[in-house]
Amino acid sequence: MANEPAASATGLVKKFSGRRVVDGVDLTVPAGMIYGVLGPNGAGKTTTLRMMLGIIEPDDGDRMLLGNDAPREVGDRVGYLPEERGLYPAMKAKEAIAFMGALRGLDWKTGRARAIEMLEDAGLGHAADEKIRKLSKGMAQLVQLLGSIVHRPDLLVLDEPFSGLDPVNQEKLEKLIRAERDRGATVIFSTHIMAHAERLCDRLAIIAGGKRRFEGTVADARGTLPFKAHYVPHHDDGGIKALLPNDAERADDGWRFTLPEEGIEALLVRLIDAGYGIAGLSIERPSLHDAFVRIVGREALERALAEEPA
Amino acid sequence: MSLSRKAIRQTLTIARRDFIATVATPMFLFFLLAPLIMASFSLIGGMGASSVAEGAADRERLVVIADAADAPLLKQADERLRTLFSKDGSPAALDIEAPAADPMEQARVALGDRDHDVYAALAGPLDAPHIFYGPGATRSASYLAALADTTVRMRDGREASEPVKIEVQRKSSTIGGQHAAGFMAVFGVFFLTLLLAGQAVGTMAEERSNKVIEVLAAAVPLESVFFGKLIGMFGSAVLFILFWGTIAAQIGHVLPPEAAQAIHQLQPAVGWPMFIALFCLYFTMAYLLLGSVFLSIGAQASTIREIQMLSLPITFTQVGMFALASAGAAHPGGWLAIVSQVFPLSSPYAMAARAANTPGLTWHVVALAWQALWVAVMITIGARWFRRGVLKSGGPRRKKAAIANG
Repeated sequence: MANEPAASATGLVKKFSGRRVVDGVDLTVPAGMIYGVLGPNGAGKTTTLRMMLGIIEPDDGDRMLLGNDAPREVGDRVGYLPEERGLYPAMKAKEAIAFMGALRGLDWKTGRARAIEMLEDAGLGHAADEKIRKLSKGMAQLVQLLGSIVHRPDLLVLDEPFSGLDPVNQEKLEKLIRAERDRGATVIFSTHIMAHAERLCDRLAIIAGGKRRFEGTVADARGTLPFKAHYVPHHDDGGIKALLPNDAERADDGWRFTLPEEGIEALLVRLIDAGYGIAGLSIERPSLHDAFVRIVGREALERALAEEPA
Repeated sequence: MSLSRKAIRQTLTIARRDFIATVATPMFLFFLLAPLIMASFSLIGGMGASSVAEGAADRERLVVIADAADAPLLKQADERLRTLFSKDGSPAALDIEAPAADPMEQARVALGDRDHDVYAALAGPLDAPHIFYGPGATRSASYLAALADTTVRMRDGREASEPVKIEVQRKSSTIGGQHAAGFMAVFGVFFLTLLLAGQAVGTMAEERSNKVIEVLAAAVPLESVFFGKLIGMFGSAVLFILFWGTIAAQIGHVLPPEAAQAIHQLQPAVGWPMFIALFCLYFTMAYLLLGSVFLSIGAQASTIREIQMLSLPITFTQVGMFALASAGAAHPGGWLAIVSQVFPLSSPYAMAARAANTPGLTWHVVALAWQALWVAVMITIGARWFRRGVLKSGGPRRKKAAIANG
């Protein structure tokens, strides 16, 4: 069916040592889209993806992958890049790609031929016969990514794909993800880096504390926050605060505050009349970062940071 | 602080960390006890070999076919001659049989006795004896010649004439040869399994350390990962055996005649071709059983140190199984032999010994089916254990911002 989602999860639950690391997550990933799964560290993103792929079984809930409730049965139509990158160091780059294709049902000969082609397209043609151990970390990561798409999957799942890549390789990866979507594949990727999600995602879900907190488009996420105004007066003194909205905070050389619901004109008139004038004014659309912080909660983020080992 | 003092302080800081990291682990205890482990291993092997040797020695015989009137003198001469030998070098026990209608034929038949290993048999008048002896048993034949001569001297006061010595080819294998072949079968399967299956631990550790395991687990069922690894490792084990087997097969050509003769006495009860086939099958079963256990363990451990620590109890168990099977091989048909043949982990060793000791193939078919069942059970449990223990979380946490906007 054309409208059938490429992947979905309903009430997924996973407990480790009695703790619910995933607690009733619902996701719907439309076919042919780039879908981001966002969340702070320890939010349950990886476990959710693993359950959806059938690597681990959920304690409760259902999942569908490419129209099948047994994910492993459609394994040959799925590509997966785990968070922890892993390749055999003694394998040549083209062999590693062909090997990953073979695991997904692609014959070795075709796998090797495609590997060489893909490596050349990615600017790594010179590394085709190099052993993995001789490649840089970024190159090895790209090789693994190519291995996850060599069999031309209908669904590509990437767990923290940008982690550890330099900006040049991050850009290459973004292009590659878009190319996969343009080819007709559905791409799910998890990340905690908002900029990538903002640039790439057609839809996204935000997970925190094992629960889904949001699902929608990037615009929907931003829409959960009001616009902000950044106002710079000609001169500043203690009296200006009384004229500004209650949430006004000093920002750079001026003030930042939520755009009043009735509009900003009346406020500006009051400020001009009071002699503060307008040295600068900009209306700021909330970023995905702002939306993420609001949805997840600053406290939860700080907790996630505090749990990081030193 | 002077440069040298600073260098010493830095060196000691590193040394302190390394010392504590090494000593403050349970593994160090195993390291301390390593000589004890090696000694136990040698002791068990030695006891097994000794047990086999003793089991066979009880059944070794020399036969003299002589009139009842000569029996007391023969015994007296035997006792006198034995005082010339050390305990270890003493000839086999002497049986004196009364002559039947055809003493010569009786002596030949005695050499084929299935209940005892008769090395040599003497027939005819003691002053002109005929001595029949098995392959390589020239020493036993000479002893019987000396015995006849001593008896004649005691009886008649003169020398016996030079005996006629006739070498007889045995139609069946000797009990000692079977026992020795049985022990070698047990030791061979044990040694090869321990040597080669141990590599299986490292292969899964390789996947763990390279983080390849999740790629594999996502693409194929874990049972396939497990079985694939076992088969891959088994292939390399077979290559190893073929290489060394080919070399070992040529050793007979370069050994001194006495040693070659000793090897020829190793006659398995089911015959060499079937014995080799069964040995290979039992090695396969032992490898798969032990390999699946090692694989399961390797899947749980995340460092080589942990693997070594976990492997040791398994190795101890295997040594125990080896001891059990060796003891069973020394007493075929005994309750220990039956227990070792039934218990899954010792069954391949014990059944390899049975192939050397006892003719008949029916029980081998049953045992192979039984062992195959256990191989399947072990692999299934191992894969499930792996699934439960591994892939539990998002992996080792790295220092990174919980949220980064860039």
